[in-house]
Amino acid sequence: MDMLIARDVSVTASFDGGIVPVIQELSFSLPAGRILGLVGESGAGKSMIGRTIAQLLPPGFSVASGELMFDGQDLIRLPAETRRELLGRDIAFVPQEPLSGLNPVLTIGRQIDEHLGRLNFGHARLRRERALDMLNAVHLSHGADLLDKYPHQLSGGMCQRVLIAMAFASKPKLLVADEPTTALDVTIQARIVELIAELQSREKTAVVFITHDLRLAAQICDNIMVLYAGRPAEVGPARDIFSNPAHPYTRCLQLSNPTVSGPRRDLYALPERMPGLSAIKGIVGCLFAARCPNVIEACTKALPPFIDIEPGHVATCIRPEATKAIAPPGLQRAELPQAGQPLLEAKGLTKIFKSSHGFFRRTAFAAVKDVSFTLNEGEFVGIVGESGSGKSTVARLLCGLEKSGEGAIVIADRDVTDGGAVSRQHQRTHVQMVFQDPQSALNPRRRVGSIVTQAMEAAGGSTSAERLSRAEALLSEIGLPPEAALRFPAQLSGGQRQRVSIARALCVAPNILIADEIVSGLDVSVQAQLLNLLMALRRRRSFSMLFISHDLSVVRYLCDRVLVMRLGEVVESGPTEQVFASPSHAYTRALLAAVPPDDPTVIWNPRGAEVAAPVLTATL
Amino acid sequence: MRNILPPWLRSARVIIGLSIIAVIALCAVFAPLLAPHDPNEQNLLTTFLPPVWAQGADSAYLLGTDSLGRDVLSRLIYGARVAMMVAVIASFGAMVIGATLAYLAGYFGGRIDSLIGRAVDVWMSFPPVIMSLILMVGLGVGLRNVILAIVIVDWTRFCRVLRSEVLVVASKDYIAAARLVGFSHWRIITREIIPASLPLLITLVSLEMGIAVIVEAVLSFVGLSVSSQTPAWGQMIADARQYIYDSPWNLLFPALTIFFAVFGFNMLGDGLRRTLDVRLTAVQRV
Repeated sequence: MDMLIARDVSVTASFDGGIVPVIQELSFSLPAGRILGLVGESGAGKSMIGRTIAQLLPPGFSVASGELMFDGQDLIRLPAETRRELLGRDIAFVPQEPLSGLNPVLTIGRQIDEHLGRLNFGHARLRRERALDMLNAVHLSHGADLLDKYPHQLSGGMCQRVLIAMAFASKPKLLVADEPTTALDVTIQARIVELIAELQSREKTAVVFITHDLRLAAQICDNIMVLYAGRPAEVGPARDIFSNPAHPYTRCLQLSNPTVSGPRRDLYALPERMPGLSAIKGIVGCLFAARCPNVIEACTKALPPFIDIEPGHVATCIRPEATKAIAPPGLQRAELPQAGQPLLEAKGLTKIFKSSHGFFRRTAFAAVKDVSFTLNEGEFVGIVGESGSGKSTVARLLCGLEKSGEGAIVIADRDVTDGGAVSRQHQRTHVQMVFQDPQSALNPRRRVGSIVTQAMEAAGGSTSAERLSRAEALLSEIGLPPEAALRFPAQLSGGQRQRVSIARALCVAPNILIADEIVSGLDVSVQAQLLNLLMALRRRRSFSMLFISHDLSVVRYLCDRVLVMRLGEVVESGPTEQVFASPSHAYTRALLAAVPPDDPTVIWNPRGAEVAAPVLTATL
Repeated sequence: MRNILPPWLRSARVIIGLSIIAVIALCAVFAPLLAPHDPNEQNLLTTFLPPVWAQGADSAYLLGTDSLGRDVLSRLIYGARVAMMVAVIASFGAMVIGATLAYLAGYFGGRIDSLIGRAVDVWMSFPPVIMSLILMVGLGVGLRNVILAIVIVDWTRFCRVLRSEVLVVASKDYIAAARLVGFSHWRIITREIIPASLPLLITLVSLEMGIAVIVEAVLSFVGLSVSSQTPAWGQMIADARQYIYDSPWNLLFPALTIFFAVFGFNMLGDGLRRTLDVRLTAVQRV
């Protein structure tokens, strides 16, 4: 029986004085006990579908037509009273940010209790027993202790488990999970996804699983709908879509994702970005035409209809047969500079953060413990690890933003450990850093041109005309038009801001670039553009790079060598291919197992991700 | 037309506040031209005249006269000079001291931060009115010392609020990036942090101006401010206090004037806070 059926749903928004389509021609049916994956980049409208189901559309947005049948009732035309009864009981939600899904000032127990109270679960004792059962079902041990804890005392993964427990408490018929693992570490992501799948198959729940990760969706979903600019691009069985994509967008998404196994291949970088709300209205033909490698004249004439590829597999593309031919342009890895002399050496780096609680209790936390490695000329070295592994602290130590407690840093034959003025000057000319969050890394009050030439401003002795021409040269190198120099960061997209951040670091022509998670939080197509840019810059400028990331596939694509960090220590290091093909440390194996395999026919066993929970702080 | 003006000038609060302050400021600057009489000119034959709309008024004295037959309107206009002078100089003085310490505390953190933080705590534990009265007794009477007292008492307002703003800005990655490209601490504070906290600073100054007007009125009410030769609003209230039953007008006009001046500054401050505060406007945009 179909639990959720969408029939030609369209959602519109009033925007800039006009009506803009946000979701168009959305149709699907989701049987009980099945998982439907909604896949797409940001702006594709996938979260808007979740909000339509909950009828929590932002102000100005409304459902223009179509019907959304849940268990025989049309959610769109249901009176608010009845709908409220359904939501949280028959339809449950798992949010993207576990911490914001829980109230920070109430204990976990209180919040579960309130939820159960709303579901009429008998008196307090019964509810408490039920709460403990629920926590057990999501594999949280010490449930009784947990009930008295506040959300901030739990990790993100534990909070997400609590939310999943609450979602399943009412035995819902439909679960909407909106990127439930995006904010979590890879190993935790795998276990959360597994947990949802386990409860879902036990309770025969229908699940709408919203994600940007096509690989993850291919693993756990029965059916996938790929969305582009609010319109379905391709719908069909998960494995079919993955192994035989018919829409060029699906194919490009797939090719822009680096792999963790098999031969290293080049990335397909889709040009530009998905059209925003204001642009969609002006597009006559296929929404994807402007970025499509297979575009022909007919594509820009009319909106492509839904075309059957196989039974149950539809795509909105008029030439699906051409999709298979799309291949990434070769990057000529052979031309990459070869590693030379050691340029940066870290010897026994240790960083201990002390914090005091009151007058007498002090705790110390070793963020980095005895880390040693070398970075050679022209070499790209990756550091992988989960959050809290100390990889960002290593980056900050190396560029001099933090002072190490012990150990030495030698850059280009000079020991800069003392942190004196001369050392810092030396460090600055050799090492520059690109930050994770471009929003925070660019001063919103400076124009782009002034941001990228800040180093010249610091050095003094340059005229503003000189700086502007240098800024334009730098911008063209990182692929932005020269007129971008006069814009403010707020006028740029996330990917463009990250490019500006790279340009600023390149201004002093450093031999070492430290990149701290610079592609996390970006869409895959933007990530592919940036990774290809880094490769191109590497060929042209032949600098060395320390690339810090939690994403193993990105590190594999970019780096010659890799260090695996866990709890402040380097647990494994070696040439990338070797480490990925035959990891020797259990933690490396766990990290690799947690990544959904590139081939959906391979059975994913994230259970390999079991690593004993570490003790994070030691009391001195 | 609407889009030419910056957003903060489109706010009704800002417009109301600015207009009130502009009127008072014009009175202060052009007092000799605007005032119909010499504010100290006594006419003992025409004391306690009511304002023109009341019975028995003299049209030469628009708002009537006080116990010594001095023109109330002229005294109010001249009184604006003292009020505006104190408002501007005292609040800027308090801002300079408070903001400097806030930037040092917020940017450098650690020991400097806790030292300045403790100093603010100790300072704020004194009741402000008592503290300014003690200061006035110690420093002596006079306009200069009124300003000094306000600065010494009120710098903590700036320091406390601004410090938390500076902490937020200083933790941004663009500050780290500025350090990496070789900006000096001085340059980071002046080029990166001050521009980011300027909206808050402007808002705080305009609110402080309103407070300064009140404090000056209080001090001149108890006779610790300007000499009796210089008209001031607080002094006028003090004079009229004794004759409150004979001539309530004399009390009402300076009180209303103070009310409007403070209202103007607060409206301006509130309007600026609403339009310039990045966090608030970001929330409203969503």
